[in-house]
Amino acid sequence: MIKKIALKEFKENLREGRFRVSVIIVLLLLIMAAWLSYDYYASVQQQHSAAKENARNIWVSQDDKNPHSAAHYGTYAFKPKYPLALIDPGVDKYSGISIFLEAHNRNESQYMAAADQTGLARFGDLTPDFILLFIIPLLIILVAYNSFTREKEQGTLQLLKSQGLSLWKLTLGKWGGIFLPVLIITTGLFVIATIFLSGLSDFGQLSYIALIIMFLVYLCYYAIIINISLVVSALTKQSGISLVILLAVWILICLAMPKASSNLADTIYPYPSRQAFATEVEKDKKAGLDGHNPWSQAAKDFERETLEEYGVDSLSQLPFNFDGYRMQKGEEHEAQVYFKHYTKLKETYKQQTKVYQASALLSPFLPARFLSMALARTDYGTHWDFADAAENYRLELQRALNTDFAENSSYGDWAYRADKKLWKDIPDFSYIPPTTAEVMQNNWSSFVLLFLWLFASFGGLKLTTHKI
Amino acid sequence: MLEAINLSKSYNDHQALADLNLSVKSGEVFCLLGANGAGKTTTINLFMGFIPATSGQAKINDLDVATQSGESKRYIAYIPENLMLYPNLTGLENLDYFCGLGGKRNSKEQLEELLTQSGLQESFIHKRVNSYSKGMRQKVGIALARARGAKALLLDEPTSGLDPKASNEFSGLLQEMKENGVATLMATHDLFRAKDTGTHIGIMREGELKHTVSANSVSLSELEELYLETMKLEKAILQ
Repeated sequence: MIKKIALKEFKENLREGRFRVSVIIVLLLLIMAAWLSYDYYASVQQQHSAAKENARNIWVSQDDKNPHSAAHYGTYAFKPKYPLALIDPGVDKYSGISIFLEAHNRNESQYMAAADQTGLARFGDLTPDFILLFIIPLLIILVAYNSFTREKEQGTLQLLKSQGLSLWKLTLGKWGGIFLPVLIITTGLFVIATIFLSGLSDFGQLSYIALIIMFLVYLCYYAIIINISLVVSALTKQSGISLVILLAVWILICLAMPKASSNLADTIYPYPSRQAFATEVEKDKKAGLDGHNPWSQAAKDFERETLEEYGVDSLSQLPFNFDGYRMQKGEEHEAQVYFKHYTKLKETYKQQTKVYQASALLSPFLPARFLSMALARTDYGTHWDFADAAENYRLELQRALNTDFAENSSYGDWAYRADKKLWKDIPDFSYIPPTTAEVMQNNWSSFVLLFLWLFASFGGLKLTTHKI
Repeated sequence: MLEAINLSKSYNDHQALADLNLSVKSGEVFCLLGANGAGKTTTINLFMGFIPATSGQAKINDLDVATQSGESKRYIAYIPENLMLYPNLTGLENLDYFCGLGGKRNSKEQLEELLTQSGLQESFIHKRVNSYSKGMRQKVGIALARARGAKALLLDEPTSGLDPKASNEFSGLLQEMKENGVATLMATHDLFRAKDTGTHIGIMREGELKHTVSANSVSLSELEELYLETMKLEKAILQ
């Protein structure tokens, strides 16, 4: 019976011009968004590959030189693009694509695509996630707003009730009739995306599990929107009122709440300004060992401790070049300073995330948005992970260079030149993003919130059924 | 088949129906006459379970409508004053849908035959209902009652607004159903139609069933006189 109702609803919708026009618009937007995303990412990927190859060539092409000069010469860590970023680009445009790796400094990522855009970019980009997160819910509202009000207005509700039909079955049938076209559109998009993305070797290995989970996340999100729409339609008597209420709900959950929660999070747990952050880091760095300054108190203390540890009277008696050794110890001190301050930043990020999650109790958009970005590896969590991986690589790079300097030269020998083979021996930066299991583990609270919304909205729908 | 036992309905201070007692057996057509607000539609709505009774019982095939709503509806078909169907579906699709909801499975051919038997022109069977007249929609309602194999029919002013020809056709269909043993409770303003198709006629006033007569025991003029007398009394009371 539920199937019969669902198919009848679907058939009725198909025969309505409003539905057909809406679906055609959504499909056209999806095709356009997919094409624009592909075009953008193909171009970015090409630049990324060329820049990465170029940076490595420049690094390995260095002549014989002092390792510490090479450390200052530096190289780049490039953030790879992943296939699902084509569906949800997330914060990629704002988080930068590469980090310059050099001695003594942990640099921020740079070359943010958003910085290259004009003011018109404020209107947002037409990307598949925009259609999936904003437009399809709007389509659902346009289809569902009069599900029950239409029956009341055209007088078919009484005839339905006279058939001895359970109202819950009627509701489930209507639910199915709305979900069916949404399922067809979403499945179509993801099937096309799978076929399309699996053939793109340039974009890295496609995670089918992540794709399927992302698909299910969107279906959950749509189920919640359908439930809300049906609840409103069941409780109101006129289609016009139902539509106005649902559009207000859409504005609230898709536009207002995300922005309000972002502002709230930033107000309660503000990030330090770039200048304040740099000042704090510099202050802490100066309080410890500076590898470049042998005259500082910290350097003198370290020199004394090293002589005592090795039981020698002068630095030249040490079995290694103390300059390289001090450079490495200075690097380790600076790394600790950066670790301390970046940990603080991460704490702020975690606190802000908690505010977002609390806001998700008022908007199912937020958990769906976070999960979509996380599964596409385009969220801030993945960006932090990449930045940490780049920092670890930088530290290993410095360790290798300072060790070579310390072990292959004597104290005061700043004229030492390492063989250019050393540059090749140091492996290139390679980043492996969090696995899908790790993503799910890191975002379990978003899953819980999404399911909470799903069950609560179904519960609300069941309760409302009696009031039809 | 249909039985009201001390059935009452009140809205705050207003008594819409007071202690109604009536019984409609198989093959009988009970017509309820009365002015607007007399309680005719309230009676139909109580039998349909659309509104809860304040006191008393409405029974269909000995099943209490209030406590056995789903089960009791299996035996009835309902045609309101203005039967509304889904405008974007054809007559056949509407019939198939509502039959399916009632748990009846009919082949396409059977449904087409039912629609034809109920007087719907063949050329309209596959047309969308948005092109149907009111009379055509009522015919789909009759076809639905037949398809469901309803043992009781509840009609709320079904011929109101129909042209004389359509009204006549509708009465003919009711006659057929009566002969097939269907119990019918019909609210109407049409004295002629009540006399013509009814087996029993009840005259209601201010929520009370004032008179019940056998259709065969009165002539149309006597019925009219009785009706007007009852209404005059009402007018006198109101004054």
